[in-house]
Amino acid sequence: MSGAVAVDIGGRRLQLSNLDKVLWPDTGFTKGEMIDYYARIAEVMVPHLSGRPITLRRYPNGVEGTSFFEKNCPSHRPPWIPVAPTADRHGKTIGFCLLEEQAALVWTANLAAIELHPSLAQGASLERPTAVVFDLDPGPGADVVTCGRVALLLREVLDTLDLVSLVKTSGSKGLQLYVPLNSETSYDQTRPFSLALAQVLERAHPELVVTTQDRSVRPNRVLIDWSQNAAFKTTVAVYSLRARPRPTASTPVTWDEVERAVGGAGGETLVFDAAQVLARVAEHGDLMAPVLTLRQALPAFG
Amino acid sequence: MPRAIWSGSVSFGLVNVPVKLVTATSPKDVRFHQLHDADGGRINQKRVCSVDGEEVDYGHIVKGYDLGGGRYVVIDPEELRTIDPESTRTIDIEEFVDLVDIDPIYFEHSYYLVPDERAAKPYALLVEAMAGTGKVALGRFVLRTKQYLATLRAKDGVLVLSTMLYPDEVVEAAELDVPSAESTRPSEKELTMARQLVESLSTQWDPSKWHDDYRERVLELIDRKAEGLEIAQVPEPAAAAPVVDLMAALEASLAAARAAKEGTGADDVGSERSPARRASA
Repeated sequence: MSGAVAVDIGGRRLQLSNLDKVLWPDTGFTKGEMIDYYARIAEVMVPHLSGRPITLRRYPNGVEGTSFFEKNCPSHRPPWIPVAPTADRHGKTIGFCLLEEQAALVWTANLAAIELHPSLAQGASLERPTAVVFDLDPGPGADVVTCGRVALLLREVLDTLDLVSLVKTSGSKGLQLYVPLNSETSYDQTRPFSLALAQVLERAHPELVVTTQDRSVRPNRVLIDWSQNAAFKTTVAVYSLRARPRPTASTPVTWDEVERAVGGAGGETLVFDAAQVLARVAEHGDLMAPVLTLRQALPAFG
Repeated sequence: MPRAIWSGSVSFGLVNVPVKLVTATSPKDVRFHQLHDADGGRINQKRVCSVDGEEVDYGHIVKGYDLGGGRYVVIDPEELRTIDPESTRTIDIEEFVDLVDIDPIYFEHSYYLVPDERAAKPYALLVEAMAGTGKVALGRFVLRTKQYLATLRAKDGVLVLSTMLYPDEVVEAAELDVPSAESTRPSEKELTMARQLVESLSTQWDPSKWHDDYRERVLELIDRKAEGLEIAQVPEPAAAAPVVDLMAALEASLAAARAAKEGTGADDVGSERSPARRASA
């Protein structure tokens, strides 16, 4: 069944192709299995993508082949995939894909878009993020458990500011912490806020935290990447698969799970592949749901 | 910076400005290679002598001018250079004309003239003197085996040289079989409407607004084909192909993937599928 097959998904027609193509050679995970995953995860994933400009990261020859980022929605898209024309920082218009339904995720999966990277902002204004994100990226010698320690420290500071935070795995090596806003907040507020918090932790825990991209200072430490709080930056979507040796996904986890991993359960307890993510969703529902609805305001500084 | 394709000097009054000519344009065509359809092998071109049938390498290829009747005069590039050594090294500015007076049909190719290291000052003088005048300099020089008429103008602080066609290289409109306005005399009303349309579509020239949509589509087609997707799927395809439910379409592929893994015992992804299946139920 290597030829194209026409399918109907809730009234949307698509041609799927090369379903048997192995995209993850280490595990034999095929494009058909990826499409199956995205079709099943769509119900909880689409609300996190809806209304946001999406950058596709496509791997036509699987996770070991070359990849490319696609910001402009391909012009051969089906007519029911809406496009968000957005002026980039040079004033050039980019027509990002909007992914609003299950069939849209099947379509991107069929394009071998393993990774989906949405904007933190929703709707017409790229200037208004709906959340603050802290991307915790481990340097050499550090791992997801080290990220967990930093995430718990970060949560502690946020707790004292009465801000609820949620955490997910990046699906790769790190963790990502989200502070829901869903209020009239701009990057002009979230950038200095995230930088200040990151620097507070860097000063308190210099052996554990860095805030600059400089790789030479990162051994055994975790970069708190606050710079993603900017228009035109993207963070990998929750539930997106990643181009790793195994078909792992960016997975919401509970703070209890982070505490247990840091307390001795180990980093493997914070790694989930496609099947495990679907099982977790069946059991817990969408642990990231509060990111979509919880309204919070950042404390005023100065 | 692009490679220089000519070097010499611009001669203007008493000033002599050593310059290099570099190409100013890079047309972006999608390039295809020739392949053998049977085995996909690249097609090579060989230069073969028509007398002995042997392949000839570049060192043994000379230029011959056809005198007719199978007779050729062989010309050495060195001999060409001796005809007019001056014009092969100098662009002599002979006069200045208004740029708007030149019909675009005469422009052939555009190049930048960049100054030699020591020529920065006289070069800047020439650029400064010509900037904003609306004038272009006319000169002649020899490039490869042809003497060109060329215009020089200042643009964004550099000199642009355009090689020009000679009048006998441009096909005259009178040679075309186009009915004249006399014989097709349009009415005043039609003319007024057409002129209004021209007026309403008039805007500022903005080159950044234009790009090659067709090339983008060709690259997309290549992209899709490289991915192994079927090409005949443009908007509403495959009227004949039966349309099936997504899960039905995936069923066989997923079963095959499971079987492959169980067969090799590659990993445990297959066995974890059962909770996943419940997840969507």
